[in-house]
Amino acid sequence: MEKLPDPVQYAIPAFVALIIIEMIWAKRRAPDKYEPKDTLNSLLFGFGSTVAGALFGAVMIGIAYSAYALRPFTIPWTWWAWGLCFILDDLAYYVFHRSAHRIRWFWASHVNHHSSQHYNLSTALRQSWTGFFAVGFIFRLPLAFIGFHPAMLLFCGALNLIYQFWIHTESIRRMPRWFEAVMNTPSHHRVHHAVNPRYLDRNYAGTFIVWDKMFGTFTPEVGDEPIRYGIVKQLGNFNLLWGVFHEWVGIFQDLWRAPFKAKLGYLIGPPGWSHDGSRDTSDMIRERWESAIDPQVRSSRAKSRDVDEHTGVSTTLDTNGV
Amino acid sequence: MIAFAIQMAASLAAVLALGWLARWMGLGGDTRIADQAHAIRIAHDALYGFAGVDAAIDRAGYSALVRDAQARHVLIMVKGNKFVTRLMTPPIEGRLDHKLLTIDLREPDCPPVTLNLGDKAQYWASGLRHIPVSKV
Repeated sequence: MEKLPDPVQYAIPAFVALIIIEMIWAKRRAPDKYEPKDTLNSLLFGFGSTVAGALFGAVMIGIAYSAYALRPFTIPWTWWAWGLCFILDDLAYYVFHRSAHRIRWFWASHVNHHSSQHYNLSTALRQSWTGFFAVGFIFRLPLAFIGFHPAMLLFCGALNLIYQFWIHTESIRRMPRWFEAVMNTPSHHRVHHAVNPRYLDRNYAGTFIVWDKMFGTFTPEVGDEPIRYGIVKQLGNFNLLWGVFHEWVGIFQDLWRAPFKAKLGYLIGPPGWSHDGSRDTSDMIRERWESAIDPQVRSSRAKSRDVDEHTGVSTTLDTNGV
Repeated sequence: MIAFAIQMAASLAAVLALGWLARWMGLGGDTRIADQAHAIRIAHDALYGFAGVDAAIDRAGYSALVRDAQARHVLIMVKGNKFVTRLMTPPIEGRLDHKLLTIDLREPDCPPVTLNLGDKAQYWASGLRHIPVSKV
């Protein structure tokens, strides 16, 4: 019962087929949704990530088993445990993902997934090579520690990863209302990949969007504002190795140059933080945007956020003219 | 081990095949900077709060310079079918050769950019000498 197949291996042919289908859609409807160099780059990110996983995955699994060995009790291998494991794993993913955007150390690895200016199914495969080095896996260890078997955790994590593939597309506008209310969807995840000020650092969910609604990080997609994808400081070229390591290089350069008291801030501060205020964090950009928009619109945004928080109902804002 | 090597080789082949397919299908397209208004909008979208008042577009439309009222300059470059922007901070390494203005941002991912600005090249080259130290 502790040996499970890796569902991602079985999903790869479907990934390839769906990318081809989306390319055909793009050819007919919107050829600019793909860019050959960007696509190749994203897929090579995915390939490199697989190699890195093969090299370091065993160590991560070993650490998970070490945490499992310390468990106070054992969660049985039964149907409700699988459901609970999937839900809690998705919550752990939310916490990881939010940290990956708010703490530069984790961002240095996760930025790989966001550095494309395109948003298509190939972007979904744009995965980090340095996840092991960044120790992002620690966010899932508490689940092993409380008694979920590592094999169950790995399986649920893989299902979560597979779920997140299909939401990286502009070919699907909206899903049915009930689905949008509970699940992460292409619309919600487009917001997450956007660099428009209103969308920065929002919608961290993996599978269930309810986490963002619960923790106040949900923002709905606004229909009349074109989304720009990527990162605040877009990469200047398609160099794969620079794309993989550029934020790590930036961290080490900042650590080298910064005054002693400021060094820690460049590691655990938010991306864009600087000791002399010479750079912008996403919060600063958002504040500048919020202070520039009409106060009435700001008020209506606050009200709609309240509605979201109290009822869980998704609202679309009327922000014409902003 | 052999099975893993075969699997990796097959994955790499699939990656290259998909990259080739995107090119063969003609996806992407040719993106250019259309005019001054377009350049100013690109700079504003990329650097929220940057309100351009003047712009110079490279003859081919692959790059542009945008200036705001405080004499801050943004360099726009085409990357694939998207745009990359940089708020320029001194010291700027610029080289003027008749109608060609070459700017080197000295960033690892941005090679020197040569803009064919025609008769405006000298005007914009002199403007680069007065760029203030700032952020958006």
